[in-house]
Amino acid sequence: MLRQPLTRALALSSPARAAPLAVRRYAEIAPQPDKVEVFIDDKPVYVPPGTTVLQAAAQVGVEIPRFCYHERLAVAGNCRMCLVEVEKSPKPVAACAMPVMKGMRVKTNSDLTRKAREGVMEFLLVNHPLDCPICDQGGECDLQDQSMAFGSDKSRFTDIHFSGKRAVEDKDVGPLIKTIMTRCIHCTRCIRFASEVAGVDDLGTTGRGTDMQVGTYVEKMFLSELSGNIIDLCPVGALTSKPYSFAARPWETRRIDSVDVLDPLGSNIVVSTRTNEVLRILPRTNEEINEEWLSDKSRFACDGLKRQRLVTPLMADSRGNLTPVDWEDAVVAAARALRDCPPDKLLAVAGDMADAESLVALKDLLNRLGSENACTEQYFPLEGAGIDLRSTYLLNTGIANVEDADFVLLIGTNVRFEAPLLNTRIRKAFIHKDTDVALIGPKVDLTYDYVHVGESASIVKDLASGTSAHEVLRKLEQAKRPVVILGADQLKTQEGAALLAYTQELALRLQDKLEDKNWKVLNVLQRTASQVAALDIGYKPGVGALLSAGPQVVYLLGADSGVVTRESLPKDAVVIYQGHHGDAGAAIADVVLPGAAYTEKRATYVNAEGRAQQTLPAVTPPGQAREDWKIIRAISEVVGVRLPYDNLDEVRDRLSQISPALVTYGDVQNNNYFAQARALAQSLQKPVSGNLDVKLKTLEDYFMTDAISRASPTMAKCVQAVLKQKQSTY
Amino acid sequence: MAAKETVKTICRNARPVMSSDLTEARRRALGLYRAFYRYIPYIIKYFDIPKNEQDCRCKLREYFYKHACVTDVRVIDILVIKGYMELKEVTHLWQQKGHVMSHWNPSAEPKPCDFLGKFLAGMD
Repeated sequence: MLRQPLTRALALSSPARAAPLAVRRYAEIAPQPDKVEVFIDDKPVYVPPGTTVLQAAAQVGVEIPRFCYHERLAVAGNCRMCLVEVEKSPKPVAACAMPVMKGMRVKTNSDLTRKAREGVMEFLLVNHPLDCPICDQGGECDLQDQSMAFGSDKSRFTDIHFSGKRAVEDKDVGPLIKTIMTRCIHCTRCIRFASEVAGVDDLGTTGRGTDMQVGTYVEKMFLSELSGNIIDLCPVGALTSKPYSFAARPWETRRIDSVDVLDPLGSNIVVSTRTNEVLRILPRTNEEINEEWLSDKSRFACDGLKRQRLVTPLMADSRGNLTPVDWEDAVVAAARALRDCPPDKLLAVAGDMADAESLVALKDLLNRLGSENACTEQYFPLEGAGIDLRSTYLLNTGIANVEDADFVLLIGTNVRFEAPLLNTRIRKAFIHKDTDVALIGPKVDLTYDYVHVGESASIVKDLASGTSAHEVLRKLEQAKRPVVILGADQLKTQEGAALLAYTQELALRLQDKLEDKNWKVLNVLQRTASQVAALDIGYKPGVGALLSAGPQVVYLLGADSGVVTRESLPKDAVVIYQGHHGDAGAAIADVVLPGAAYTEKRATYVNAEGRAQQTLPAVTPPGQAREDWKIIRAISEVVGVRLPYDNLDEVRDRLSQISPALVTYGDVQNNNYFAQARALAQSLQKPVSGNLDVKLKTLEDYFMTDAISRASPTMAKCVQAVLKQKQSTY
Repeated sequence: MAAKETVKTICRNARPVMSSDLTEARRRALGLYRAFYRYIPYIIKYFDIPKNEQDCRCKLREYFYKHACVTDVRVIDILVIKGYMELKEVTHLWQQKGHVMSHWNPSAEPKPCDFLGKFLAGMD
């Protein structure tokens, strides 16, 4: 297993990360070594020893061209594009790999440097096809840009023997990545990403010199949930996106900043659109959440936004078939059902992609009708502190801070598929900082080594009470910055409350002994993007008791996970479904109200660590679909309990009345009251006996988990490809 | 200073369109108003429009009140000239029924301005 020494980790932290790290201020901070002075183009700059010439140059705003160097990956130094002249050095040096020395004078724009770059460019272009007009990377290609900036105006490449240029056979690495290996310039970024970040050591090189090839040795799918990132990393068009191939050029598209809602982390994304359709989704750098990576589901499920969409209001006719109707009829039908229903027989269920605005509108509507039965699909124990204290249901450590942990205990969660980018943080800590990881739950592949403590829930009890004989307890107690992550899926069983109580007990016992009083140990990893906002607003988690009470009218706000079924409802119950996809929820509905998906509205989502973020509308909702909170607002007026907001600003004022944290975009509030939650949970520490199980065990389970990804053909292809790969002998 | 004086003289000595002062312009405007007012019964008779004399007088008054705040003599003159052109088009039947009716904008639908109306119309 690849593990890097500590010095590498220091070099990895980019300048942007320096600020949050400094704010956190841990008990022990290594004393800053004296800085050395170097001169970049005669400009003096002070940098810590061990910094590379390239990083020092970046500090004074001089960008040295590069292909293989990437700040989040190990230094390879094989493209030679970053050659610069250093005074008193006989040859130009590779800036990305050369550490600075005292008084070093670097010339980034001298004749020698320029000649070296020209030479490198010429060699690269001799071995690169001239197919830019049909290449998907055209317009965002590093090779194109740098050959314009640093290349020569003429070439010495003449194919006098008509033998043709170098050609390499294309590889098949699955339905997401298209490979045109002739274009490869052997920067090895993809190889380094696969082995360091994704943890899938499949990519590598064969051959030497002209015969060198990047590939998977045997024909094999690139089995990773982060595979899409190698498309972004590839500086040329060797690795491009298969679903996006030949779709558009970068200068034709509009790019809108948004937030992903397909996993609970709320990764920052850029939605690329043209002619009112989403063409692709790319990651947007946010050091606190996703760095610059994006998981495959978030990136490639966007073609699901065009399929199975609800484009017009529907109502069940006399034979029970859903038929298109006008908005007026649908709204009146929904309003009549709500008005005629006794308040205690009314039930609203929020699904996994509901935004905070529509959640608050729906709850306000229900409250005005005299009902309190607003709940979410995901369960969370209400015993003890329940959802009253925010710290009991959040990822308190924070996503970015996980990489500073020295021991991570995972309880009943497969982080790799439930929150892939949290897993990359843990993996980063594991590789660069010697963090140890232990797992309670089924044995799954997390891409790094971990101690498997067992599957039984009673292990958590033993750890919490300190009676366990397992070495993990000793390690936890010795850890300076331990992290305990509990999967929210475990809490829906009978023993959920006890499990949460034990986890709180364990985490708080560890936290009390820490030197660093700001470090939070307890984490609950929610499964969906809407859950945290819903709990903040005051939704009851889980439908259990409310559903068995036999509701007369059920309002589903994008509830598609199959918790509410026709069988579980009385015969004459009216189901109103509001959402964007024709999935499980719409199938059982009597009235269907088409809403907008996350790329089509300005909406607030709160991620697992409690960070409110907003999506921006990239395209308009299809057909007659409307923004979600407006639908509820319209119904409220017809019912006769008009909600007091007419525009988004007023809804957000209402949000801030409920919780100011919902509108402080981009910030995480400091969570507290751990001790109180622990005290309230004392009485719940009953014996637990069951085994912990997780839903997403292997890669094929990961791709299709929600309404959007279930509607996506690309995701379906991924599942097929993974299953086919499983049959293969490799 | 000298430049300011020059501007002033030019402004004061701008060539009048028809009227030399506000009183004269007012007289012309009243003349136009009377001419239109007297022709209103014939408009109803010749164009066969579903409006009565009172409606037409209201409309006429509306147009004059629209420009009530105009104080520039030359602007008033131009407006009066345009008014006489309009009258001539009507009296000579160069305008047709549709042209006359268009003063009331019969095909314009009012835009919804309440939330529910806007929602149902799909307007944001």
